[in-house]
Amino acid sequence: MYYREAGQFKTSYKTDQAILPLREDRIGLMLSLVMAVVVVPLVSNDFVLASIMIPFLILALATIGLNVLTGYAGQLSLGTGAFMGVGAYACYKLTTIFPDVNIIVHILVSGLFAAAVGMIFGLPSLRIKGLYLAVTTLAAQFFLEWCFIRIPWLYNYNASGAIEVPERRGFGDLILTGPAADPLTRYFVVLAIVIVFTLAVKNLVRGRIGRQWMMIRDMDIAAELMGVRPLVAKLSAFAVSSYICGVAGAMFVFFYLGAAEPDAFSITLSFQILFMVILGGLGSLHGSFFGAAFIWCLPIVLRTWLPAIGIDLGAETVFHIAQLVIGALIIFFLIVEPHGLARLWQLAKEKLRVWPFPYG
Amino acid sequence: MELLTGIFVTPFVQMVTLPDFFLQVLWEGFVGGVLYALIALGFVLIFKASGVFNFAQGIMVVFAGLTLVGLHENGVPAYLALILTIGVMGLLAILVERFVMRPLVNQADIILLMATIGLTIFLIGLGEFIFGGEPKQMITEELGLPTGSTAIEIGSDGLLILQHIDIAAAVIAITMVAILGVFFNKTRIGRALRAVADDHQAALSVGISLNQIWAIVWFAAGIVALATGIMWGARSDVSFALEIIALKALPVLILGGFTSIPGAIVGGLIIGIGEKIGEIYWGPLMGGGIESWLAYMIALIFLLFRPQGLFGEKIIERV
Amino acid sequence: MSAVQDQAHTSQPAPGEVLLEVDNISLSFGGVKAIRDVSFDIRIGEVRAIIGPNGAGKTSMLNVINGFYHPQEGTITFAGKTRRNVRPYEAAASGIARTFQNVALFKGMSTLDNIISGRTLHMKTGFLWQLIHWGPAEREEIANRRKAEEIIDFLEIQHIRKTPVGRLPYGLQKRVELGRALAAEPKLLLLDEPMAGMNREEKEDMSRFILDVNSQFGTTIALIEHDMGVVMDLSDRVVVLDYGRKIGDGTPSEVRGNQDVIDAYLGVSH
Repeated sequence: MYYREAGQFKTSYKTDQAILPLREDRIGLMLSLVMAVVVVPLVSNDFVLASIMIPFLILALATIGLNVLTGYAGQLSLGTGAFMGVGAYACYKLTTIFPDVNIIVHILVSGLFAAAVGMIFGLPSLRIKGLYLAVTTLAAQFFLEWCFIRIPWLYNYNASGAIEVPERRGFGDLILTGPAADPLTRYFVVLAIVIVFTLAVKNLVRGRIGRQWMMIRDMDIAAELMGVRPLVAKLSAFAVSSYICGVAGAMFVFFYLGAAEPDAFSITLSFQILFMVILGGLGSLHGSFFGAAFIWCLPIVLRTWLPAIGIDLGAETVFHIAQLVIGALIIFFLIVEPHGLARLWQLAKEKLRVWPFPYG
Repeated sequence: MELLTGIFVTPFVQMVTLPDFFLQVLWEGFVGGVLYALIALGFVLIFKASGVFNFAQGIMVVFAGLTLVGLHENGVPAYLALILTIGVMGLLAILVERFVMRPLVNQADIILLMATIGLTIFLIGLGEFIFGGEPKQMITEELGLPTGSTAIEIGSDGLLILQHIDIAAAVIAITMVAILGVFFNKTRIGRALRAVADDHQAALSVGISLNQIWAIVWFAAGIVALATGIMWGARSDVSFALEIIALKALPVLILGGFTSIPGAIVGGLIIGIGEKIGEIYWGPLMGGGIESWLAYMIALIFLLFRPQGLFGEKIIERV
Repeated sequence: MSAVQDQAHTSQPAPGEVLLEVDNISLSFGGVKAIRDVSFDIRIGEVRAIIGPNGAGKTSMLNVINGFYHPQEGTITFAGKTRRNVRPYEAAASGIARTFQNVALFKGMSTLDNIISGRTLHMKTGFLWQLIHWGPAEREEIANRRKAEEIIDFLEIQHIRKTPVGRLPYGLQKRVELGRALAAEPKLLLLDEPMAGMNREEKEDMSRFILDVNSQFGTTIALIEHDMGVVMDLSDRVVVLDYGRKIGDGTPSEVRGNQDVIDAYLGVSH
């Protein structure tokens, strides 16, 4: 009986259509924000911030990006990694050419390049669907990866073939990127961007544009007969999704990796993000955070906990076990709960609503 | 101008002036194509019978190859290892049917596809956990497969070199396709398979066991995977890198259609030969390495003009 | 200014005038002729039934009208504009809405969202406003919510407002689909077997809604239906198709007496 809507009356459509109509949900969100902004920075050391929290948030953003396309608009993509790469390389080139512009601006602009590339590869989605579209995005994945290797201009002709993040300052004289950047600074920048983006995507999906995506996803023919233009709906989904993935890709390199070779954006990354979407829940924003947290943290947790209970395995073996578990869990979730962790969360809330009674 | 010559003239001049080299390229492409076709064949088998696009076919190839080599490394004689591997693939088929297919029956296509992607990563994890991540040598000789090569003289000073293992691969692939063709068209199980492919409900209602049929097709796909794994392993080695290459079965299927066995063969050959010729004659223009994406681009362009594939029928959408 | 008004005026014909004219339409798929040289019209404010045995080309006809199929010959004139091939969204924009033979609701959405989705063409705020969901975007959302709620009240489905449509029983799904089409405020409403698979009581409810829509909103309706009793009660005029040809056209009583129609239904060999 701790979680209930009884007694919370809506007197206007505006309050009924708020992002979180229930008081308990609003409190929950506030608590998570307080956790993220106050508690995590206070209790975490640099390792936790730099190796867990920052990549988790960035990958969650990429997951949201893919979720826009796959979860909301129903278009499967296996090219997420490459679209992230476009953002990263674009940002690298931009900051090389305009070193004095704030790096945050570059990151936001680099998403536009990813969006443009995403739209080009999204064009075939007007004629082809489902599995066939997967091939289009695979074409994007391998072609773009090839570009990252074969076009030396993209990595400033570095002998290593990798992009290395230069030191950039902003907001006064704060070091934002590069080896000298403080993890806490990076964490706050990443957190701010992720919060703003999540809110913006939430707004999109609860409004006209998101509804058109879902119409196309659920029944494309009916959507068209209701006046949705497939061209606009699908390409806007590709554009928004790739923009977010591009921004996430740029952040992935500039705030987490520090340097990246082309294979950082390989199909492995594409799959990893796809798994985060599936496990978190197709078409769920908070699920994207669950999915990213789960897949990113599982190997880390296994690596720290298995030795603690007396099982000592090599790092590689642990990684293989993590893969095995994730694969099994994906199948398990698809069977038991196709809507992923987000749905489990909802079920838990429904149970709480009537607790301590079994039925409400 | 120079670029135009590079695209439209030079490659063809090269083909004509060095015909033996051109034949060699064609042969290499052909053999590569046969192997793509074999992987695509595995996809087609499962797709035909269940409408499931089995993303894991590529990893099943690696898994079968690794099991075979791994068993042999642990002292099992080659032929016994082969039989045991067939048994393992059968067990895998039963487990997949029981724990993946059966619970997911009647789900949306995209859900089933993602389940097979989950299966893929599960098998990668399992394979690496058991056999380790390093590439392994295929036990070609122990299995009695031919090694060595034959050189054929062409014209006065041309030379075409054929690896025996490649010839064997082509022969085995053709035999396999023939057997599958007979299996599908002439046997009772084959008819049941086609019935299931047409309509699950109707097939059930005339007393066909879906579970049995699915286990059988997954097993058949497993055997195709094993054959592919042996052939591919003999040409390079058995490693998880193959998984990426196996994705090229997707463009093959786009060309050939998801349900057509001849389509898989023709599509495989087009992709195999097309990407080899593209790489050798046009690749240098773009700095090489275009093999990694050329197949997808071919399929993509093809899709824009003929969305239903080479052998597919035009689908009339109904509402 | 006045020219624009004049144009608006001419595209809004008065009751009794022809709203839609189907002119010598022929449609074939490969060698199969689905519709052969069919012509008929639909007048403003009437309920027009399209009947015929299975495979007569009724649904194909609706698909032609709302641009989903493109006929090889003939033209469609809707609200004064003549065309042969339009895209479905253009047909929707010109004021044609429809329901489907097999319910085609957006399964992942609630009843309310499905009905608001019918208002797609009435929502226009730009991308940037959508991003912040504030100001015009929010006002538009609330205005359309209010419209959707009116439809929900009209169809008496308040109790399932927030239920995902996949969980609804078939009869209610059909009703939600009608609501979604109504939400578009169409000039012409196409109903493809709105009562298929319903029991007596549900059919009566649906018939009442159709008549109410016609009389309260003045919406012109074309419907395909198999239940002859329903057709005779609901419709002002009936067109009969058989094997893609038109074999009858007129008031229900005229059609009932037509020998060709009787033959088609009783099965005289062709």
